[in-house]
Parts: sequence; C-alpha cells; structure tokens
Amino acid sequence: MNLGLGTQREPKELRPRIFIVGGFFLLGLLVLAVNLYRLMVVRYEEFLALSVDNQFKDVRVRSPRGLIRDRRGEVLVDARPSLDVFITPAFCQKCVLEVIPRLEALLGWTPDQRDRVLELVKSARGPQRYQQIVVQVDLTRDEFDLLNAHQYQLPGVDLEPVPHRHYRSGDALAHVLGYMNEVTSEELTKLNSASVERPPYAMGDYTGRRGVERSFEQYLRGQDGWVKQVVNARGEVMRDASGNVLKRDEVAPRPGRNLVLSIDARLQSEAERVFPGTAGALVAIDARTGFVRAMVSRPSFDPNEMTGRVSPQRLVQLNKDPLQPMVFRAGAQHYSPGSTFKVVTLLAALQSGTFSEQSGVTCGGGYQLGSRRWRCHKESGHGLVHAHEAMKMSCDTYFYKASDAMGIDPIAEVGKALGLGSVTNFGVAAEVPGVMPSTAYHNRVTPGGYTKGMALNTSIGQGDVNVTPLQLAVVYAAIANGGHVYQPQIVERIESAEGQVIEQFGPRLVRTVPMTDEQHRILVDSLIAVVNEPGGTGYRSRLTDVTMAGKTGTAQVAKLGAVRLKTSQMSYWERDHAWFASFAPAQEPELVIIVVNEHGGHGGTDAAPAASAVFRKYFELKRLDGEAFGIEYQPPKTPPAVKAPLLTPPLVAPGDVAGNGLAQQDTGAGIERDPVVTKPVIAATPAPPPDVARPPVQPGEPAEPPPEDPEGR
Amino acid sequence: MQLSAQRRVAVSNVPWVLVGGVLLTAAVGIYNLASASRPPSSPVWMSQVLYLGVGIALIIGISLVDYRFLQRATVPLYLLNIVALLGLKLFGHTAKGAESWFVVGPFRIQPAEFMKIGMVLMLAKYFHDDDRPNQPAQGFLRLIPAAAIALFPTAIVLVQPDLGTALMMVFTALTIILFSKPTWPVWVGLGVAFLLGMGVLWNDYVREQPQEDRFTVIRHKLKKHQDARISGWLDPMSDLRGSNYHAMQSKIAVGSGGWSGKGWMEGTQTGLRYLPEQHTDFIFSVFAEEQGFGRSLMLLMLYGVILVGGLGVALSAKERYGAFVAVGICAMIFWQVFENIGMVTGLLPITGITLPLMSYGGSSMVSVMIGIGLLVNVSMRRQMFRR
Repeated sequence: MNLGLGTQREPKELRPRIFIVGGFFLLGLLVLAVNLYRLMVVRYEEFLALSVDNQFKDVRVRSPRGLIRDRRGEVLVDARPSLDVFITPAFCQKCVLEVIPRLEALLGWTPDQRDRVLELVKSARGPQRYQQIVVQVDLTRDEFDLLNAHQYQLPGVDLEPVPHRHYRSGDALAHVLGYMNEVTSEELTKLNSASVERPPYAMGDYTGRRGVERSFEQYLRGQDGWVKQVVNARGEVMRDASGNVLKRDEVAPRPGRNLVLSIDARLQSEAERVFPGTAGALVAIDARTGFVRAMVSRPSFDPNEMTGRVSPQRLVQLNKDPLQPMVFRAGAQHYSPGSTFKVVTLLAALQSGTFSEQSGVTCGGGYQLGSRRWRCHKESGHGLVHAHEAMKMSCDTYFYKASDAMGIDPIAEVGKALGLGSVTNFGVAAEVPGVMPSTAYHNRVTPGGYTKGMALNTSIGQGDVNVTPLQLAVVYAAIANGGHVYQPQIVERIESAEGQVIEQFGPRLVRTVPMTDEQHRILVDSLIAVVNEPGGTGYRSRLTDVTMAGKTGTAQVAKLGAVRLKTSQMSYWERDHAWFASFAPAQEPELVIIVVNEHGGHGGTDAAPAASAVFRKYFELKRLDGEAFGIEYQPPKTPPAVKAPLLTPPLVAPGDVAGNGLAQQDTGAGIERDPVVTKPVIAATPAPPPDVARPPVQPGEPAEPPPEDPEGR
Repeated sequence: MQLSAQRRVAVSNVPWVLVGGVLLTAAVGIYNLASASRPPSSPVWMSQVLYLGVGIALIIGISLVDYRFLQRATVPLYLLNIVALLGLKLFGHTAKGAESWFVVGPFRIQPAEFMKIGMVLMLAKYFHDDDRPNQPAQGFLRLIPAAAIALFPTAIVLVQPDLGTALMMVFTALTIILFSKPTWPVWVGLGVAFLLGMGVLWNDYVREQPQEDRFTVIRHKLKKHQDARISGWLDPMSDLRGSNYHAMQSKIAVGSGGWSGKGWMEGTQTGLRYLPEQHTDFIFSVFAEEQGFGRSLMLLMLYGVILVGGLGVALSAKERYGAFVAVGICAMIFWQVFENIGMVTGLLPITGITLPLMSYGGSSMVSVMIGIGLLVNVSMRRQMFRR
C-alpha cells in the first residue's frame, strides 16, 4: 500500500547536510549567547545605571519662601493659596475639540486666551505631555465651584491650590518690599552655574525683583528638597499597596528665612492714611539708629499684581503713567530741598565761624548781590533776624548773607559730611545720589563756572542742590542726635522659620560730623522755634505733649514770574514741592520724619500736618505699648498631667460623646484648658478669646515684648 | 499491510529529549509570563496554561495521524492557508496598522502563524516529489517552483504588513532550499543577491549623503515606522526618545539583568512598563532582566536541545518528506528564536515576531506545537519504512 511516498529509499545523502544545518543552528545560538554576554556581563554596569535612571524621577519639593514681618511680628508678606487650572495634555481626551471650548465657555476666555492655551497644549510633545500646563491662575471661588461641578466633562483638567506670594498691605511699602516674577533663562544659567549638584532654581521659579524681595532673595528663598520617586514608563508615580508614594533618598526642603523689618505696621498704616498728596514720600526713621519705622512712596503699585499677574498692557500703563508709580520716591527721586536745607547752611555758617548765634542780619525782603537782587519769600522783609528767628520764620536773606560771606564750599563740606550728594546705602531699593554742589561741581557742570549767586541759591536749598527724602532723614537724624550719620536700614533681623534669630542687624554709623554742643543747641532750639513759637512756619502743626522740632520747606519747581501766584492758580506740574523735616522729642530725639508732598504747595500747610499726625500716632502707640508691656508677662501654665480616663461613670450619655471625645484628645495635645469646663463648645465658639485660642506650644509669640525695644523703655 | 504499518508505530520512538525540551521550555515560559503579566496587567499566564494544554493535545493528536495522510493533504492545506491569508483582507481585524487576525468569539487567530507550517509542508512535498537520485543537485530551474511556493505566501504576509513573519518565512524557506543541495551557481546567485542587499542597505541608509537628494532603492517604499526601525538598528544611539526608544529600553532591560538577574517579579523595566509588548514580542527581555545571564544561557541551550532533537528526527527519518519536514520545522523554530532574541538584544531591527514557547499567544503556541507534533509523528513512524 502506497500512501504517496514514491521513493521509499533511505535519504542517506541528506545526513551530512543535516549535520551542517545543525552546526549552523548552534552557531546562530552561539552568536546570540555571545551577544547576551556582551550586554549582560560586559556592559552590565552601564545598563544597570540606565535602568535605575529610568526608575527614579527626581522630584523637587519646593521650600516655602520666608515671611516678611514688621518689628512686632505682624505679617506683611506671606503666601496665599491661588486656585490654578492645569491641563495635562496626555490625560486630556478630546482636548482641542471639546475640553478647551468648554473651559472657554465656563471661564469666559477671550479668543486670545483660548488660542494661547490651544498653542500650549498642541506644542506639548513626548514626555512633556505628562507635565501640567498652567492655563489660568487665581480662579474666583465661583469659577472654582463651576469647574468642580463640571469636572467629569473636563478630563485632564486639574484644579490645584498653589502657594502664591501675598502682599498683605497692598500697595503700601510696595517699593521697599518689592515683588517677584519668573526667572528668565539667562538668569537661570547664571544662578545655577555656581552649583555643581542640583540647581537651586528651575524654569518657572519666581525670584525677587525689587526691594527686600530682591536684596534678601538668598535668605527668603529656602533650599528646595528632592525626592526620588519611582515612576513607570508613562511618568506615573508608583504607589505601594496602601497608596503611599514609593520614594527614596529624600532630602527635606529647608524653608526660607523670615525677615523682620524695622517697620511698625501700625505707624505705617497711619502714615499711609495721613499722607496728603497725590505724589511724594514720607520717611520716618529712628533718630538713634537709622532704622526705618514707616516709609510712604506715592503713587505706588500693587506688588500682588506685579507678581506674575500683570498683563503687558497694564505694565505699559504703569510705565507711561506721568506720575511714575514705579519710582521709589523716598530714595530714587531727588528734589530741591527748599528751606529744609537751611539747617545745613546754618551749621556750615556756625562751623566756619562766619556767623555766631548773635550775628544779626536785617532782612528788607531781599538781598542785593552785584546787580541782581535775591528775593526773600516775605516781600516786606523780616527786619533784624538772628539765627533763631531766621530759622523760625525761614528768612532767606539771613542765609543769603551767610553764604555770601562764606561761599559755597563750607556748605558743601558740611552737606557731604551729613551724607548729601551720595547714596545712603539703604540697600534694599534703588537710590540716586542727589547733588551737593560745590565750586568744583559748578566749574565742571555749569557753563561759565562757579559764581557767587550759586552759593546763594544753594544756601536756601534751591539751585543745583538736590536731596532724596531718605538723605534728608539721615541729615535731620544727625542734627537731632548730635552729628551721628547712620546708614538707614529696614531689616532688623533674619530669623529661621522656627523663629530663631540668625542674624541681627545693629545700627551702622557712617561717620560723626563734628558738632559742638553749642552748635547743636542753636540748631535744635531754632528748629523747636519753627514749630513751637507763634510766628514759626510750622506752628500750626505743633504737638501738645511732646516737643517737636522741624523745618518747613517750599521748593520752587517753576521759575518765579513777576507776579506771585497762589497755589491754586498754578497747574499741577508748576506747583511747589511742600517739605517738612522734623524730629521729636526735640531734646531726646527718637523719630525723624520727612514729608515731601510733590507739587503740594507750602510746607507748613501741606506737609507738616502729616508729620505731626504720624508723630501723634507714634507717641500714642509708644504709650499703649508701654502700658501693655508694663504688665508682667506670665507664661501659660503647663497643662496638668491628665489621668487616664476612668471607667466610672461607665456609661456615656449619647449627647456627650463629642464632648468626651474632645476632652480625651486633649491628653496628648497639652492644651492649657480644663477639659471639663470647655468641653462641647470648642468648635462651636466663633471667636474664642485670644488667650484661650492661642496654642501654648508657642508661648504667645506676638504678645511677648520684642527683646530690644527702645520705645518700650 | 496497513495493520503492519500500524504495528510499527513505536512509542519507544517518540523523541523524548525533544518533547522534554519543549515541555520544559513551555513551563519556563509560563513561569516567566506570570512575572511579565503581574498586576496591574491581567494574568494572561493562565490562558497560556490553557494554550499549552491545547498544544499538548495537538502533539498527541497529530502524532496519531499517519503523516503520509498529511503529505497527501499538503496541497489542500497550503491552499487553505493562502485563502485564509487572503481572507484577512476581507474579514481581518486591524490592530496596530496590520490586518493580521481573524476574530472568532473570544479568540484571535493569526493565519500567518499557520502559513509557516503550510509552507514548510509544501516545500517538503515539493522536494520529496522532485527527488532525482541521478541528479541530486538542484539547479535554478528546479528551484523556481520552490521559490514560488515560498514567495507567494510571503508576499501576502509582507503586505499585511507583517515584516517579521515575512522575513522569518524567507529565511526558513531559504534554509530548506539550501538544505536541498542546490548547484553552485545557486550559491553564487544567493551570494550576489546578499551582496546586492547589503549594497542597497548601504546606499539607502549608511552612505554619507543628505536625506533630500539621496537616491534610494527601496527606502522610499517602506512605511515610516519600518524605515525608522532599520535606521535605528544601524545607528542604535540615535533618536533614543523616539523610534529607538523601545529598542534601547529592551537593551537596558536585558543588560541590567547581569549575571544573576533582578529576581522573579522584581524586574524594574518590566514592572514599570518600559518594555513594549512585554508578554509577547519582548518576553525574552523580561526573562533576561529577571533571571540573569546564567539562566538566559540555559534557555538558549534548551532551544539548542529542541533543535538538536528535531534534527535528530530528521536524521532518523527513513524517507525524504519526513526529513524535509523535520528540517523545515527546525529551521522555522531556529529563525524565530534567532530573530526574536536578536531583535530584543539590538542585533537585528525590531520586527514583530514571537519567541516560540515563551511568548504569550494561542496562535504562536499552537503553530509551534503542530510543528513539534509533526516531528514526533515523523520520529514515531520511522519503523514503517524498515525493510
């Protein structure tokens, strides 16, 4: 029976070929084996490293930025949650067709906004598709609820609270506190070039841009932590069975340092409230240390808006505003000081021996030098004046005469010694040096060189002399304290996040201007007379229970015409700057206040009242603080050791369950409170008295008197 | 006569080494698959146990049929397979850009897997029928039908497109044809064809010339992903985030296994899903990563045992058809192993092809087991031809 196998001879001739085929197969397997050896043994280390790289993703744990507080602990700058909308393109199904139009409708986007988001989502490629893209920041509560309600129609859209810098005082102190925005890529390379290991900054990080935020960036910014999280090929973070993220090599973030400013927030808000004009500055510094207690610069901007929330249109608007809100008027704008400069002229006259206290000048309403007549502000003249009256009534003729006698250089010498013509090294904000003219200066700058008339102009704070309010504050502090020129400062200390003092800044004495007690007395007395004697230019702003010393100033902006115009008859830009420079108490000076009201009118009426209001507040606060701190501070009692709950009474009434539960929780928490007395109402009480609500773990940080409080003594 | 033939079927002639090697490999495969399909993947290894059962049943079933029946049925089987392949165009299920499956209830059948067997049988039949003892060497003319038998189904598979299976079929057919002792001009012709192929590859990919004004022979006809795979194979360090990503990840998995491996269910590349198709095409990467070089070498040796056992069957076969079937099946297994392991270790470009007995998949398992069944069959019936 043949089943189709025609030739049933044994295929002997195939045998050698089978061996050849077998040899070939084994050779093939050998090739594979050798290749495996090459990969798995020779290059093992290399591939193992790559597989570890694959497995772990370095995730940055952001460190919280330090807070900025005032000297009493009140928070000026902290973080608030900003509800932001994110899209993760990889998880966003039908993103372009459905999700984004839906978001557009829900959030009321303009077509421009929508196109920007579309562009962002479409341009994400590869692993970028698993990264969140911010599409809108700062949702309102209503928008948040709306999106939350539609979350099932919005796959791949996340709503997350993100910490955002919050400037609690709004536009107050904006120039000093500064603001933040994203680092540029050039800055990034520069900032990260120093560190070999992990770069401190990443794309999208914010950095301080002005003020304290910028100059103390390295302190405020903490150190980001790192954690190696196990991720799969899709970049999803892996979790163990109980839902914890699998991680390794955790480096905890170090929170940024807190800054304590020398500002008193209460004084600051009073200064903001009473500041009279549209533009100008108020500077209040401690006469004995140079620390700034309040600082107003008007008009201002809102750092909350500038911190990553500002539109290009708004930026243009801010920069084109003729009032220049971005300019830090206390330090980066200089003005003719007007009559407030006369203390410098008087001190120069006394020191150069040109005048003594008894030297008298008869004012006939002006002073003749050569063919020109320099007018005094009172056309009818002041009659015979000495230093005291000249200062009190701000008689120009007296100072014309003095400068005519001594020339410009003694004035310049004293002015420069007091810090004029150079920056004060305030440090946290931009400054201009101002101008303190001298013979050399005029020979260099003015066509025709120095002439006597320039000295005359300078002597009354006109002409080329220009000062910043901050410089003037330093000058008056030096006059008040007997010649000590301090560098103005605003940061008192740097604290760790836990409140330990890391660095304490003391007063920095720049130099001491030699000044005899006699000269000091003459100057202070004359300044007291300005405010406290009838006929003084600042008499209306005198204080009742403290002696204030001060000097008004009215700095001309436009050239005087033939006819004197009243303030109301001039256009805004032609009006005079109103100045008031003051310190109090006059004999034991504590606070120096400089007010400049740009185009405000007269110093006596448009600047001095603000200064006296701030002084009133200052001394009121001092009295209040003194009373408050006068009470001996008692630390909270340590909680009594709570016994273990007894079995009796064995049964708990149903209504009491919550109360008992809370009372039992108290055992570990150590809350200073008798568990029986306060049991059920803890959560229900809307506003518990502060001493009860405060956890005793931090023993009343704000209520404790600051360790070095000069005002309290 | 029939009775006597039946009597001569000897259980003692079952190639136990081969069968043992196959069962051991399949068991290792299931053990490895349990790791590759660990949670959160669905535990497909359970289905694989079922497929293995089906496969063993097929070995037994096929070994019970006299393979001379199969020889007579070769032509219809071959044609049926071709019809099935063509039918894919009409009823096929498209996945990942290729029409490769019939969907029958819960099963997905891949006709190309069976086409390989059909082709081997058909070639064996051709070389059996063409036996000329006086003229043992095959010239060009006598090889034309063989080439046609091989190339027709290969072409259909190629346009599915399933480059991996097509390549494998070409190599298998080539092995059988070379085994049939062709004349030296055929060798020369093949050598020239090989050189030409290398030349085309060099011209299309390696030659330094800007992409735009390069004259290409076949490159412009390839699909984009195929093109990327070839260029990726020739330059493994290029485009690691794109087309070369999977090749690199597979190499990382294999290489990071080291001598002793990361341990069963401990492979990070596997667990974190860096391997594409880790339970089918890239199953060897899982094994190498978790079991290490030593056991990977043992797995290669197991394949060696299977191949040697299979060729032993060919050696003991008492007539040409059986010998050719045995060599063809061995060639089929060898080329599949070589291509698969070669591709996951970066030796060959990435093509979709399964590793016999290790990869998950019913069609793959069944086609290998049919082949093994044929080998057992041939071995068991060698006594029939003893005179």
